[in-house]
Amino acid sequence: MSLSRSPSPVPGGGWASPGLTNNLSPSGRSSPTKAYAGSNGTPVMWERQKNMGGAAYQSFSTQNQGFFSRHMRRISSSLPRFKADNTHGAEREKIGQGRWNMPRLGRIRGITGRMSRRTKMLLAFGLLFLLGYIIFYSTPLVYYYRRTSWLGGGQKFVIILAANVGGGVMEWKGAREWAIERDSIRNKKKYVAKWGYDLEIVDMSTKKRYAHEWRESWEKVDFIRSTLRKYPKAEWVWWLDLNTFIMEPSKSLQDHIFDHIEDVTYRDINEYNPLNISHPPADPYLDELSKSPIGDGNPDSIHLMLSQDCSGFNLGSFFMRRGTWTDHLLDVWWDPVAYEQKHMEWEHKEQDALEQLYTAQPWIRKSTAFLPQRMINSFPTGACSEKGTDPRIHYDQKDRDFLVNMAGCEWGRDCWGEMYNFRELSYHLNRSLWERFKEDLLCWIWFKLTGKKVKF
Amino acid sequence: MHFAYPPRKSSNPPPFRPRTSALPTIRGKRLKTIVLTGLAFLTLLWLFQRGGRSRHAPPAYHKPSGNPPVVIVTVFNEGKYGKGYLDMVKENRLKYAEKHGYGTFFVKSSDYDLRGAPVSWATLPAVRHAMTKFPDASYIWYLDQNAFIMNPLLKIEEHVMKPSRLEELMIKDHPVVPPDSIIKTFSHLKGHDVDFVLTQDKDGLSSSSFVVKNGEWAKFFLETWFDPIYRTYNFQKAEQHALEHIVQWHPTILAKLALVPQRILNSYSKEKGGQEYKEGDLAVRLYACGEAGEDTCETESQRFAQWKAAYQDS
Repeated sequence: MSLSRSPSPVPGGGWASPGLTNNLSPSGRSSPTKAYAGSNGTPVMWERQKNMGGAAYQSFSTQNQGFFSRHMRRISSSLPRFKADNTHGAEREKIGQGRWNMPRLGRIRGITGRMSRRTKMLLAFGLLFLLGYIIFYSTPLVYYYRRTSWLGGGQKFVIILAANVGGGVMEWKGAREWAIERDSIRNKKKYVAKWGYDLEIVDMSTKKRYAHEWRESWEKVDFIRSTLRKYPKAEWVWWLDLNTFIMEPSKSLQDHIFDHIEDVTYRDINEYNPLNISHPPADPYLDELSKSPIGDGNPDSIHLMLSQDCSGFNLGSFFMRRGTWTDHLLDVWWDPVAYEQKHMEWEHKEQDALEQLYTAQPWIRKSTAFLPQRMINSFPTGACSEKGTDPRIHYDQKDRDFLVNMAGCEWGRDCWGEMYNFRELSYHLNRSLWERFKEDLLCWIWFKLTGKKVKF
Repeated sequence: MHFAYPPRKSSNPPPFRPRTSALPTIRGKRLKTIVLTGLAFLTLLWLFQRGGRSRHAPPAYHKPSGNPPVVIVTVFNEGKYGKGYLDMVKENRLKYAEKHGYGTFFVKSSDYDLRGAPVSWATLPAVRHAMTKFPDASYIWYLDQNAFIMNPLLKIEEHVMKPSRLEELMIKDHPVVPPDSIIKTFSHLKGHDVDFVLTQDKDGLSSSSFVVKNGEWAKFFLETWFDPIYRTYNFQKAEQHALEHIVQWHPTILAKLALVPQRILNSYSKEKGGQEYKEGDLAVRLYACGEAGEDTCETESQRFAQWKAAYQDS
């Protein structure tokens, strides 16, 4: 380029860069284009028409029709170059190469260029913090991070979920039963993924070895034993029946119970004694510790935590800790002599057996503690409802109870309906801020404006 | 490049005076280091605070100190026997205990509420009671009322319960209930893991003379054995058959059990029931005395009156 001033506009428009002449275009465009030749060498139809003269149609450019003709320069300039280039940024910009030449990034580059070092550091810090938050709080990585013993101790807890109850052997397992199972399992899986626990889903289908004639054992006992073997790092095992739903997944078990066991449990059954078990045991030959209503009062000696409902112990949701006491209990829980005499009376199998053991053998009371029912085992209003809604037993939305156990829903109630309602309630109560904003503000505004309820 | 003259000062003086404050200011690199270390420290604190709440191992229960080392328990069935006979039995125990510094525990079978079960069930609450009365005793030796300690030179904690002695004496891999129980005693049991030592006679396990080690396992075992559900089942031989049942069905009980040769603890007076007493055995039980067709226990006991002589020289 050897001109000292830019050339003046030429009639017909366009910037006629003197160095790049273009003889093909009648409208004066000077961007380099190729005349696309047809297969037989003659120019393509529109080229021919152009050459015939512009009188037949309006004069708009038909040159830069193809994708490549319009974007060739930009694309070719952004492709990687493999020649060792010693030019710096400014020179590159002048040459018109480099990715920073794109308009958007150029603006960002400009902004960051104008920022002081301090602002850059703060911004980097902020981004790092946000990244850390995302990695450590909201991605699946939290599972691994919360399992370790020094960051939460999640691997000490195993949830056993009793699935496939009956297994379709005695009764038909239809779409509703499958849906209930799916919801329950999904709920526990999400909880476990969030807090780093283990989940063991056990198959409670009707097996021959648990049938009456075989008198083998109670299933819960066998499953707890095998789970304690399977997860050697587990300290606590939480048994859950299928018809349960964790309503507040944002509460970890450590926060809810285990970090303050002594505050939430009670050992003296006289606080709430639906079975009227006489406590403490009064036999004269027992030692002080066995006769004490609260055992030794030490939370470390608790190996079994359960709750009581309106009619006695409830083993739909309970905790057991690994230890010698637990080995002894799991061993003597089932006995053929006891089974033979009592199985007709014991409708709830191991639950009733445990009640009998608790009543008759003082060593069991030493390591058993009770939790208030609504802490781990709230009932829906259909269950245990002889006296109406009991604040000790029934789920209360205001208090945001932790877990709902839809016990006995197979007899006379709608299991699927209850599961669905509690699931939706749980989702509603635990909406994220964004969802709350959408539903409570935007939908409300829309409703006020148009009178229609809509869901975003 | 070298300039001929020093660089020109500008015509506009700087608007601020140079800093003269005496306060030391932290600048640049040092500030960054301090801030970063502070943040790292806070992060570590927060991390450890969340996770460090591990539960310790369950508390160890009271370990018996060994004073007295052994307690001998005997249950008297006062309705059936004369006072003279029972006094002789008591004296037998007291003399032996005095010689070795042991404790004794005598109760009547009517002391306990057995809910209508046979009187022999009173063994269990008696031993449990002894554990309450003597929390520091190491071992509790239950000896039937119709039995006599013959050889006062033998000490229970050496003759029977010493771990090395138990490992010699233990009958390994033997059906727990003769003749053909499929449940067999453990072969690899260590002496110090044994909490319950007893013998077999010709018919089955013999609960007329056994030793338990005082501790949490013994409490669990006795309370399980004493469960009312076993009494309501009406076993033919009361607590003996109940014992045979629980030992076969509950491995946590079998795991602490050792069978020893009968004559170590529990020689019988007659060949009929089990191994017969020979001179030097620790104790003899008057087998089936007083039952239909047999001599009464009082007359039977005369055969073994030589135990009194053993205390004459001391």
